[in-house]
Amino acid sequence: MARALLLAAAVIALSPCAPSAQAITRTADGKPDLSGIWQAVTTANWNILPHAAEQDIPAGLGIVEGGEIPYQPWALAKQQENYAARAKADPEAKCYLPGVPRVMYLPFPFQIFQTAQHIAMTFEWTHVVRRIFMNTPHVEGPVEWYMGDSRGRWDGDALVVDVVHFTDKTWFDRSGNFHSPALHVVERYTPMGPNHIQYEATIEDPKVFTRPWKISFPLYRRMEKNLRILEYECYAFGFEHDWLAPPQ
Amino acid sequence: MHSDSSMTGSRRRSNRMRTVPLALVALLAGWDVMGAAQTYAPPKTADGQPDMQGIWQGVGVAYYSIENLELQPIYQQNREDPSLRGKSVIIEPADGKIPYQPWAAAKAKEIFDNHLEPTPKYLDPGARCMLHGVPRQFYNREFEIFQPRGHVVIFNMAHHTYRDIPLDAGPHISDRVTLYMGDSRGRWEGNTLVVDVTNNNDQTWFDVVGSFHSDALRVVERLTPVSADRIAYEAVITDPKVYTRPWKIAMPLERFKDYGTAELWEEACHENNGRTLELMLTR
Repeated sequence: MARALLLAAAVIALSPCAPSAQAITRTADGKPDLSGIWQAVTTANWNILPHAAEQDIPAGLGIVEGGEIPYQPWALAKQQENYAARAKADPEAKCYLPGVPRVMYLPFPFQIFQTAQHIAMTFEWTHVVRRIFMNTPHVEGPVEWYMGDSRGRWDGDALVVDVVHFTDKTWFDRSGNFHSPALHVVERYTPMGPNHIQYEATIEDPKVFTRPWKISFPLYRRMEKNLRILEYECYAFGFEHDWLAPPQ
Repeated sequence: MHSDSSMTGSRRRSNRMRTVPLALVALLAGWDVMGAAQTYAPPKTADGQPDMQGIWQGVGVAYYSIENLELQPIYQQNREDPSLRGKSVIIEPADGKIPYQPWAAAKAKEIFDNHLEPTPKYLDPGARCMLHGVPRQFYNREFEIFQPRGHVVIFNMAHHTYRDIPLDAGPHISDRVTLYMGDSRGRWEGNTLVVDVTNNNDQTWFDVVGSFHSDALRVVERLTPVSADRIAYEAVITDPKVYTRPWKIAMPLERFKDYGTAELWEEACHENNGRTLELMLTR
């Protein structure tokens, strides 16, 4: 009994209470090691702003700092138009590449692979890939990519990713929040311990917003044993071949 | 020397490979890997893997038909190429043909006969931007090999496909789950990456003309770097629901140097494909 208590005391002593005091995993070159399978737990894919519940939609406090998106007047009208047409107009409903930052809070897991030169993110949702090349300049534009052009660098223990070269074909959520190809996203991935990353992104688009604004939420490490990224092949559903099966 | 070590590895592997007959494993292990230069010592990654990183491309013209390489120039470039006549990437069986069971041979012929004017059911899933699956991932244009610690990851530019091959990662996932890209488990046998791919669905084809498999497909791949710019690729394909015996393909993969960059960039497929499909299917 005394021995058990002693062991318990030792365990407590080894487990700091504050998450920030937990050691983050590091690579051989001393950078935070972000490798692994992660997932956001938010309702942001329905609406990045605070919203009440609707049938099949959970309520949420949103991920936008301050709870407001600083739309220019014409853009607010456009967002409301998008919202009314969202069932068909949402790029996600068409299974298009979801863009940045939306792909980061889709309700599906993704995996991070990391070397000193480059970081890859592979997403379960429709095999989306993000390639983040480290310490390199953006490709020369004009270029329009659904997922943009991501260039990374380390700022202390934070991975900072600068993303430009977007299209106007991606939205932030199912509620019609949108941007133009002039979108500029600066992401910060700050490890808060071995199993949490605080994700923060500054959104800038002078054609649509009156000022830059920020979103933030945690990414959680998926802890299940033997977890694997599987497949959600959005545009394959309904087109499966069903006539090649062997005779019974 | 190589054969001996290979044989040991294959015997070890055969304990875990229920569907590949022992005799075939032993036979294949005795083969030299496409005349591989056993003297080539590839550089190593930080975690000690033979380093195959970079952008590569399958050599040859297997995309259109894996068992008749002449079809690709005929149908895609409208020219004949006698040098490809009778050529196949299938090296076992010796006739270079997929050893279909009779019912499957009839299906394959039906697809072939309809592939030039396809209705949806005769349309190559690749034309709908579906994932190409294994092994087609390797002979559909350029791809990149990335080797972070403990993994080999393949990225395809077309259809932005990826496949994670975890190394020494334990058993496959439940066989209730099937995937376009399958469930890969890799390990290094010397300088050869051996990948066991299970949990495949029945939705991918091997080529445009409908060479097909069922969800019983199992692929065992061997990737051996034989020079700085060449990888010998082999795959043994088993599917007891569709074929009469395991069969084997082999092709070289060559470093792709056409880009002035070391990056694969985004190539959206489905997003821009609507009109193409409409034209194909409503002519």
